[in-house]
Amino acid sequence: MPPIIEVQDLTKEFRTFRRREGVLGALQNLFVREYLTVHAVDHVSFSIEPGEMVGYIGANGAGKSTTIKVLTGILSPTGGKVISNGFVPYRQRRHYTKHIGVVFGQRTQLWWDIAVIESFKLLKEIYEIPERDYRRRLDVFSELLNLKEYLHTPVRKLSLGERMRCDLAASLLHNPPLLFLDEPTIGLDVVAKERIREFLKEINRTEGTTVLLTTHDLSDIEELSKRILIIDKGRILFDGDLEQMKNRLAQYNQVKFFLKDRSQVPRLAQIETDGIVCQRVDDLTYLIRFDRAKHSSAGVIRQIVNTLEVRDLLVEEEPIEEIVKRIYLKGEVA
Amino acid sequence: MKRHWRLLARYFAQYAKVRLAYKADFIIAFFSSMAATVLGFGFVLVLFTKIPRLQDWSFDEVMFLYGFSLIPLGFFNVVSWNLYDFSELYIIEGRFDRVLLRPVSTLYQVVFEKFRLESLQEVVTGILVVGYCVRRMHLELGAMDFLWFAVTVICGAGIYLAVFLILTAVSFWFEDRVGIVPPVFNMLNFGRYPLTIYNVFIQFLLSWIIPFGFATFYPTTHFLGRTAFTLYFHLVPVVAAGFTLLAVVVWNRGVANYSSTGT
Repeated sequence: MPPIIEVQDLTKEFRTFRRREGVLGALQNLFVREYLTVHAVDHVSFSIEPGEMVGYIGANGAGKSTTIKVLTGILSPTGGKVISNGFVPYRQRRHYTKHIGVVFGQRTQLWWDIAVIESFKLLKEIYEIPERDYRRRLDVFSELLNLKEYLHTPVRKLSLGERMRCDLAASLLHNPPLLFLDEPTIGLDVVAKERIREFLKEINRTEGTTVLLTTHDLSDIEELSKRILIIDKGRILFDGDLEQMKNRLAQYNQVKFFLKDRSQVPRLAQIETDGIVCQRVDDLTYLIRFDRAKHSSAGVIRQIVNTLEVRDLLVEEEPIEEIVKRIYLKGEVA
Repeated sequence: MKRHWRLLARYFAQYAKVRLAYKADFIIAFFSSMAATVLGFGFVLVLFTKIPRLQDWSFDEVMFLYGFSLIPLGFFNVVSWNLYDFSELYIIEGRFDRVLLRPVSTLYQVVFEKFRLESLQEVVTGILVVGYCVRRMHLELGAMDFLWFAVTVICGAGIYLAVFLILTAVSFWFEDRVGIVPPVFNMLNFGRYPLTIYNVFIQFLLSWIIPFGFATFYPTTHFLGRTAFTLYFHLVPVVAAGFTLLAVVVWNRGVANYSSTGT
């Protein structure tokens, strides 16, 4: 099957001008403007297969939202080629939008003052959804997302989590093969996040919906997508399997251990050799981070149990947040 | 096309429901709209207690013109609400992104998403005043005249909407608020009196630059039997179509600019 989204050398430049300060500056701004060109997205290429769920991450201002805006037809690119579900989004916007669902975590797509169900009915007209399909999907979504209690509440009275669930349902009423989510879990509590992730998995499994989501919460990615795209300063730094990224880029492993009692504490110094450092977590809990290239987990564990009396011991991979943080800071994949 | 009418009916019903849910708010809005209308007529009344005629325009004729102007203006007011704070709500706050994500024309969504319901009052008042003036002046109106009446009302509303759409579309290029709307709105009120009372410059301005004269004055000259303006009267649909087309072109250019700059 051909890819559902194909992005080639996508470039988006913005021209902004430097605003001068003060009254005099404001006057000057009217006549003389110093322009700056910002490369929000810089020769980005990737493709996505039908049915994939891809996590798109990057620091603030890295170019995530710009990419999503081009892919959804809101922005037209400065250069490059985008074909999504057979359309060129920014050229065939009105036709194209019938085939995509979009959710922006930061703002709702629903009508603020009217009941959720009324917003849905308007969307039914806008997308020309046949009555039977509409009913069926509304039932399924109400069930999966637990919407029933507040279908008749105006959107402005909903909590963030409730609103997000309604927005998700709204974006899928016309059964689009493609779903774009821009920070869908921003500001949500753990339970609400979990529910939304479960829902997305279910829709992906049953309808085969292709999902591209941006997020700052890496647990979203770990739960939902196998594949991860990392963008920084407008360039793709990494595109590939999440596990593969961990294997390739994780530099540290960590062992967390719980001492039997305080009498063990003075002996900690004995294992601190050759780049191994003990970090105190609390009274009896300590953590050792070690370079995977220099030490093996087995070696470190042996050293710990041989030297200390420990009650319990855990080996962990370097958290994905740490790996990503390092990539952001360095601006490249080492 | 049929779908768009259905959608319009839904949008309108939805909006009316929300509006009427806040009864006090709606009642206040209704009465202030009514008060503004009454004040407008009051001005004409006071004017004619001081002078017998306005140039060669009688009280009844001026009332007819002023009443007629309320009809297209009322329709325009009903749908233009979103244009007033378009740059703030849609561009700066970013609602326009949502508009772009829907498979319906952007213009349609912006114009028909909010209605100033109370302005329907102006339409009704206008029709009543025009009817009253027709009886007082014993004007003979045939079937064709009624047809022309409907056509010119639609054209008038179209001209008002086109002018303000063009002004609104400016915010696609300049995100800073541009203070050109209030003066143009004042010009609109100039067009509700006989154009001949103004100097040549204003007559020209209101005919060919900002064609408010074609929305109100020229149509009424036909019903009042003033044949001096027959040519202008027949140009009403042409001017309306031309300006509507221009507005659509400017709007679409604006949308394209928005898409390339994202401002």
